[in-house]
Amino acid sequence: MDMNEIKEIFFQECEEQLAELESGLLKLNDGDRDPETVNAVFRAVHSIKGGAGAFGLDDLVSFAHVFETTLDCVRSNKLEPTQDVLKVMLKSADVLADLTNAARDGGSVDEARSRTLIRELEALAHGEAPAAAEAPAPKPAAAAPKAAAPAPVVEKPPVNDEGFQPIPFSFGDFDEEPADRYVPTCQVVFKPKKDLYAKGNEAVLLLRDVSRLGEMSVYCDMDSLPPLDKMNPEEAYFSWKISVTTDKGEDGVRSVFEFAEWDCDLDIHTIEEDVVGEASDDEELPMQPVPFDLSMLDEGGPSAGGEEEPTAVEGDAAAAVAAAETATKVSQAASRAAENAKAAASAAGAAQANQAAAAGQTIRVDLDRVDRLINLVGELVINQAMLSQSVVENDNNGASSINMGLEELQQLTREIQDSVMAIRAQPVKPVFQRMARTVREIADITGKSVRLITEGENTEVDKTVIDKLAEPLTHMIRNAVDHGLEMPEKREALGKNPEGTVRLTAKHRSGRIVIELADDGAGINREKVRQKAIDNDLIAADANLSDEEIDNLIFHAGFSTADKVSDLSGRGVGMDVVKRSIQALGGRISISSKPGQGSVFTMSLPLTLAVLDGMVVTVAGQTLVVPLTAIVETLQPEASAIHSFGASQRLISIRNSFCPLVDVGRILNFRTIQANPIEGVALLVESEGGGQRALMVDAIQGQRQVVIKSLEANYTHVPGIAAATILGDGRVALILDVDAVVAASRGQSLKQDISLAATG
Amino acid sequence: MASRKAAQKSLSLAPVLDLNEATALHQQLMKLKGNPLVIDASAVERVGALCAQVLMAGAKSWEEDRQPFTFGKVSDPFMKTMQLIGVNIDHLLAQEARQ
Repeated sequence: MDMNEIKEIFFQECEEQLAELESGLLKLNDGDRDPETVNAVFRAVHSIKGGAGAFGLDDLVSFAHVFETTLDCVRSNKLEPTQDVLKVMLKSADVLADLTNAARDGGSVDEARSRTLIRELEALAHGEAPAAAEAPAPKPAAAAPKAAAPAPVVEKPPVNDEGFQPIPFSFGDFDEEPADRYVPTCQVVFKPKKDLYAKGNEAVLLLRDVSRLGEMSVYCDMDSLPPLDKMNPEEAYFSWKISVTTDKGEDGVRSVFEFAEWDCDLDIHTIEEDVVGEASDDEELPMQPVPFDLSMLDEGGPSAGGEEEPTAVEGDAAAAVAAAETATKVSQAASRAAENAKAAASAAGAAQANQAAAAGQTIRVDLDRVDRLINLVGELVINQAMLSQSVVENDNNGASSINMGLEELQQLTREIQDSVMAIRAQPVKPVFQRMARTVREIADITGKSVRLITEGENTEVDKTVIDKLAEPLTHMIRNAVDHGLEMPEKREALGKNPEGTVRLTAKHRSGRIVIELADDGAGINREKVRQKAIDNDLIAADANLSDEEIDNLIFHAGFSTADKVSDLSGRGVGMDVVKRSIQALGGRISISSKPGQGSVFTMSLPLTLAVLDGMVVTVAGQTLVVPLTAIVETLQPEASAIHSFGASQRLISIRNSFCPLVDVGRILNFRTIQANPIEGVALLVESEGGGQRALMVDAIQGQRQVVIKSLEANYTHVPGIAAATILGDGRVALILDVDAVVAASRGQSLKQDISLAATG
Repeated sequence: MASRKAAQKSLSLAPVLDLNEATALHQQLMKLKGNPLVIDASAVERVGALCAQVLMAGAKSWEEDRQPFTFGKVSDPFMKTMQLIGVNIDHLLAQEARQ
């Protein structure tokens, strides 16, 4: 694996971390105060920083570092994650994403923006930090990180591996510390986990780095070490109690363990020098060497004597534990920081455990391979259909064993297909998260206050669908915020919450994914839309349109109701482009709007672009496939149910309601004369704008799963036809675009060009 | 209990006792179990915590078997690393290796 591949993996992981970061921040924004959430956020930035450091991406590292420092203040409860704080953090997350992208493919970064944010982040870290507990402690120093720059110990190339420095075990030095200079002593309990070693970290090097911070004494706890024959040589048995006196303080020590933090139990706390005997809250006591420290340091001495004699070890360990307990008590009394650190450490542990449990094992697979597999399975399905068909055709004496075998084969093929499709299925979460950023940015530009609520982010859909969803969604969100929502003052005047809400939801409904985008804005101004349509010569001035039809006018090319064209939307390329991209995905889009209450855009998309359950029908001698998801029911019309209407329109009455009858053969120009409905079959379909239509076909051949082959890619786009497929007998059948057909039939009430626009 | 008359064995440690070496070292020690053992650590340049664990577990097992387990020669890096990680092997050092 060369460096570039590793780098690529790093960037992939960055994407995941960024998503994690954003969702965590949004949770915090929603009032989630779970320390695990804060930890997850912190971890995300931290990991990005770590990886970036390894690749020498200095910009990324330095920004991540500042960000991380501020997050650390939140983590240690020194900074309250208020809305204002989170606003800065969300923006920082955006910049971090930009920086990552820039590092990946050389995109540009708004430097002014990142500099401003660095300042804001630093201000947050500074501004709040002094308010917190420990004045003489080293925290404030750590909160001023920029100068110290990105790299904590690990990133500095380690000097040379043999150059171990002996650890001074003498405490004479300790006493020589000038009494007027306060040097905190940190107690570290460091218990590596197996993973720490498995990931190539080395406890020895960590200890060496700690020893470089200052005076260190160490006690190695070997109690859990089993005899040789019972041990796993790669398991972690040793743990350490370390006491280090360093002017780098707790943070300095913590930074040593920075990249191992998640793979060990780590408890670091500072022993307040001014705590003599009993607890004292007065932080201005003169510093004195404390008996406690010496006793703890003594642990290192005697224990060094007889590790291998079980009794001696026990005795030492007991003493060490006792001492540690004392330490905890004493420091608890005086130092809130110690508690914070502990809480953070334990929360980090818990979070990690959770994460480990939640994230199953995954592998990264090249998308091409999956596509090849899907393609092959598609061929398999077609082949299997051909095989069954030829068996049926040649089978005169009913060899049931062959038929049974074929049925089993069919089931297996189906299962294989489903499983393969599931490989491609991905949650829509990443797209939704990108929308959060879009909303933030547009809200900023327009000066509106917007809250994006997302639901069902974990709804899964084929990766190609997800990839193509982002663009239309961005358009729509922009529209919703720019046109849909009113300005805060106006909202207030209307008695609405000045903060507008945009709700983005995804859910599965009958084999499709339905994505809804709802805003609580003004809704569509139908009068304005209508007037505009008339002005633009889209409809006749006296055309009688239903509300729904008016609403749908906004999907027409070149239509924009915004009075002035803004930078964001309203260039008239918005909604028709959206509609086209959704249609290209085999999807439908509809709008419902209530004046004063907002609009809801509903998109319904196929879960996959590769296969489809369809009803195979005959129309004027042609074989067509109608997507099953569109069909509500099928019926054999009776003469009494057919009613003529106008010159060429016909209605069918179904259970006392009338429904337009659409002759598919005529719409597609397969025939010029209307077929006799009584000789055909009617398929009742649900059309996009609500309302039902009865599609008339000549006969139903059966129901089948078909593999979709793109017409556009292999031939050219045909209005009214969504795609093609290959049937069992090897013939090509066209897949009907139900919405286009319905729209074309409805188009007769509109002007011709509209119907063409809708289908094309 | 292992035979007290077993022949003394010796084991020379590899220069680099890192993560990868731990399992190998463990296997080597397992093979030598039951025999008095002198370990030659004079060539060691680097030793990681996992190998230190294996060595100490070995010392423990040998102790249980009442067989001598000593470090004949030790290199400076080996001693210093052991000191650094708080593992004291003074009592395991052969006379000539003690200072």
